[in-house]
Amino acid sequence: MAAGRGCLRPLRRAPRDGRRAGVAVAMVRAFVLHTLGGPAPPAAAPGPAAAPPPRCRVLYARAYEAPGEGAPARQRLRRKEQLLAVARQVTSQCRLLQAAAGRAASLAPPQLPDEPVSLQAAPGGLFRLRPGDPFSGPATVVWLAVLALGFALVCEPHENLLLAESTLRRLARRLLGALRLLGPGAEALLRAGHAEALLDRLLPHGQLLFLGEAAAQALEREAPAKALR
Amino acid sequence: MFTAAAEGLLKQAREIPEEELGRFVSHVAALLQGRDAGAEAVDCLQRLHLVVAATKYPRTLDGKFVELLQTVLCSPKYPEQVQVLCAAILREMSPCNELILSCDDVQDTKLLSLISSILLAQGDKKAEVSAVAQRVVKVLEGRLPEGQSFRHILPVLSNVISISPVSLAEEQINVVSKKMVDWLRYASTQQGVPQPSGGFFSNPRARQPGPVTEVDGAIATDFFTVLSLAQHYTEDQWLNMQAFSMLRKWLLCYGGEGLSTPNSDDRSEMDGSVISMVSTTSTSSHLLPPKERLREKAFEYCQRLIEQSNRRALKKADGELQKACLIEAVTILDIICKQDSSYVYRTLSSLKILHSRISGDVAFARALLPLAQFFLNHSETAAVDSDAVYKHLFTEIPAQLFHNPSLAFEFIQFCKDNSQLFTDTSSIFRQSFPNLFKFLAWNSPSLISEFVDLLPFLLDAGTAIEIFHLLLDLPCLTAALDIQLRSTSLSASEKAACDPAVKPATCLEAFRHPLYKSMFQYLLRVEAAPEDSPERLIPLRQLLGSLASSPRVVQCAETVPVLLELFFSVVAEFADKPLINQLVLLVLQRSDQLYETSAFKDDVYRVLSSQLLTLCKLHPALLVELSKELLEFLASVNNIRNKEALFTHMVWAIGEYMSVSYDKRCTVEQINRFFEALEATLFEITQLRPLASIPNYAPRVITVLMTTLTKLASRSQDLIPRVSLFLSKMRMFVQSPAVTSVYCEEDREEILNRATELMNLLKMPSVAQFVFTPPVDVATTAFQRDANESLPFALRIVSRLLEGGAGFMPG
Repeated sequence: MAAGRGCLRPLRRAPRDGRRAGVAVAMVRAFVLHTLGGPAPPAAAPGPAAAPPPRCRVLYARAYEAPGEGAPARQRLRRKEQLLAVARQVTSQCRLLQAAAGRAASLAPPQLPDEPVSLQAAPGGLFRLRPGDPFSGPATVVWLAVLALGFALVCEPHENLLLAESTLRRLARRLLGALRLLGPGAEALLRAGHAEALLDRLLPHGQLLFLGEAAAQALEREAPAKALR
Repeated sequence: MFTAAAEGLLKQAREIPEEELGRFVSHVAALLQGRDAGAEAVDCLQRLHLVVAATKYPRTLDGKFVELLQTVLCSPKYPEQVQVLCAAILREMSPCNELILSCDDVQDTKLLSLISSILLAQGDKKAEVSAVAQRVVKVLEGRLPEGQSFRHILPVLSNVISISPVSLAEEQINVVSKKMVDWLRYASTQQGVPQPSGGFFSNPRARQPGPVTEVDGAIATDFFTVLSLAQHYTEDQWLNMQAFSMLRKWLLCYGGEGLSTPNSDDRSEMDGSVISMVSTTSTSSHLLPPKERLREKAFEYCQRLIEQSNRRALKKADGELQKACLIEAVTILDIICKQDSSYVYRTLSSLKILHSRISGDVAFARALLPLAQFFLNHSETAAVDSDAVYKHLFTEIPAQLFHNPSLAFEFIQFCKDNSQLFTDTSSIFRQSFPNLFKFLAWNSPSLISEFVDLLPFLLDAGTAIEIFHLLLDLPCLTAALDIQLRSTSLSASEKAACDPAVKPATCLEAFRHPLYKSMFQYLLRVEAAPEDSPERLIPLRQLLGSLASSPRVVQCAETVPVLLELFFSVVAEFADKPLINQLVLLVLQRSDQLYETSAFKDDVYRVLSSQLLTLCKLHPALLVELSKELLEFLASVNNIRNKEALFTHMVWAIGEYMSVSYDKRCTVEQINRFFEALEATLFEITQLRPLASIPNYAPRVITVLMTTLTKLASRSQDLIPRVSLFLSKMRMFVQSPAVTSVYCEEDREEILNRATELMNLLKMPSVAQFVFTPPVDVATTAFQRDANESLPFALRIVSRLLEGGAGFMPG
């Protein structure tokens, strides 16, 4: 399993109510855009001991929460590793979901880059990160996979997940175009400005927005990215 | 391939030599300081961003250049995209010591937003969070310069609250609360005017924009909300959207009982022209303190969203937004009612109506969870019976929507958040656990970790047996759900094609066949059925065997060992002796009735056998109480062949716990009966037949059988000659050509050594009895805790004593 057996610790049998236990402040902690690595290893059954998938790389990430304790270099290193850990878990969840659905993970780029990609059928889902692994508190990851790319929002556990899912779909659709993610080469890595501009509008400071389609389009029209292009 | 290209570029960026980077940075600096920082500057800044972002180790840039980035960021003469990139690079370097940025005098809201994003990434060493909070509130309080908008800084405020809610003073909270009321309730209901392009063909007398519309295209009937549509939006409409987006967070942080002081002058100027259906029902609220006033406006807003979610959206994305709004509205109403119970009655009645409206529509299923949460939190206050809501949620939804991964995840989160519900044995929640397992069976990779948390709450003396069966049948359940799902997509004629007289050829046919129908129904039951007998599933398990290699079934099967281990560790905490006996019998019985996939069976046997030992240790008297069944199990050589682990552990447990020191009822006759059964088994598997080849049993079985026989003989000493004779024959056994061809040298040596040691031990019966039967009260000391460890040690001591070894040092 992706979660690994080592981290499967049962809770104590004490009554708990997450919603009542103090203030649960909803927010998005991070956005991650990453590759899903190479093709899945030949071993059909991914067990808990399965090595991390080959080369899953973060292409762009943005963290919204304040860094934790420690020296600046250490804080930065931790944040980078946390985001990579999220990318790895998304990759693993995506493989398991694809396998369960009986689809061989088709991670190759499409034959025709102009082919419209349907995000409705794209594999995606939700999973939880336990406290301490890799963030200090619990978190819920909303993810979406489009061809060889993973998109993920790391949310506080009581975030409006339906809203997070539709925001992520909207972001993915726009980023695919703005970063030319389906084109050949790795141009996306050199288009951080476009990613920043989109996120600043559709997910400002990690705030999920209730936006109708018309409002989202209006926001996009304001993006400065086009000014210089 | 994209991945390979990205890989190459990332490597380049990570490994760029300092010198080259230095040259590049100087080039960028020159561009930024030049007259026109245009497209090339943007390209270079993006490249630089990659160089900084690609490595997880600190990337130090020249101090002067970092300063320049900050200057450019704050200077209005640069294009926005350059500023955005400067901010992104500074953020990527964060936490960063060379920062001289401050938000103190920033008036421009866009710039304040950019600077805040950098400051908030610093980790609050210099109280940056508070500084940002103070500045943002200050700007919000003041008059906005021409061309500026609050909407750039409202999300900053939201982020600040998340990071540190204590950054705002009570007075500031009141100021923002008053603003929120205005933004939420009094946004314009006319559409915005498009920005004039100023071109030659632009018409200065463009059409007047019309009123905003509802999602179905009708003209809005009440105040503006996030579900009101327009071609262009006005500033206050944007603020309305942002205010609602952060409303829940705001209420959670500042809506409760605080230091709020009533202030009779708290009266916002408002646009009285808005005719509100909802607001006319509320009391006059101008005199309320800001927090309470905001609560009331939030209540009205949520009620309006609930009304609006009933409209049929023209665009799919808007339909999705309706559902997300509904979830948010119900959650906010829950918070409001927690903070002020006087809202409970009004809210309950409208949410009851909402429930009856959406409960039949699976598209709204996810909204049922916050609804149920609301009823759970407030039904008691209002003395309203909401059992029908819970019953619908727990019986209908998992059965229909187990294959929706997001709903499955949220449903299980809901159960975890409300785990106290499962402690009431008669409750509908508790009764519906078979339904909850459907979520796990279908979505095991994403839910296993959640179920590890949930399972302990589902378990007690009343449910343990049924859950034990459910866990062992979990892969079967996955297969059955697969069939169920495929069956629902069959056409009516295909469904009718089933002939009850003919034996079904496929699982899909069997699903409707009278022979299997009731078995499927039992496996797919929505509520607990403790009286029902799981034996009836035997034919169904065989039938579903054809799906055993399906990836989803395999994934599910992999989760079972983890849950089984958890099951036993939880059950051990409360199980009484009759329950333990029952479980041991079930372990033996179900070991023959498992879903047929070899990896699954091996895993399950491994867990069951180690748990069998735990149960025997908890309640050693079970060996006497269940002697008939255990003897039956041990008498079958087939059990060694098929379930070696289970058999060996059982034999070991008998040697360990079949003793009068654990149970007074353990008579010599009892010991003799077990001895004879095990002796016959050992005889059978070590018997040399002239023609037949030796079946290859694990050497562990032979050594454990020998050890157990010796242990039993030490407690019924008439048996000592018999076992000694048997052990002495083992030399002949291991040396026979038939055996050497099957067992390797090491194994044979191990068998022989063990036989010799045991024989030596039996030469001193009283020592043997002492070694093999530690008194119960010392059985838990460190030395004896793991008998597997201590026994070989004891055997070695005795062997050396007998051999008269000189210079023997214990330890």
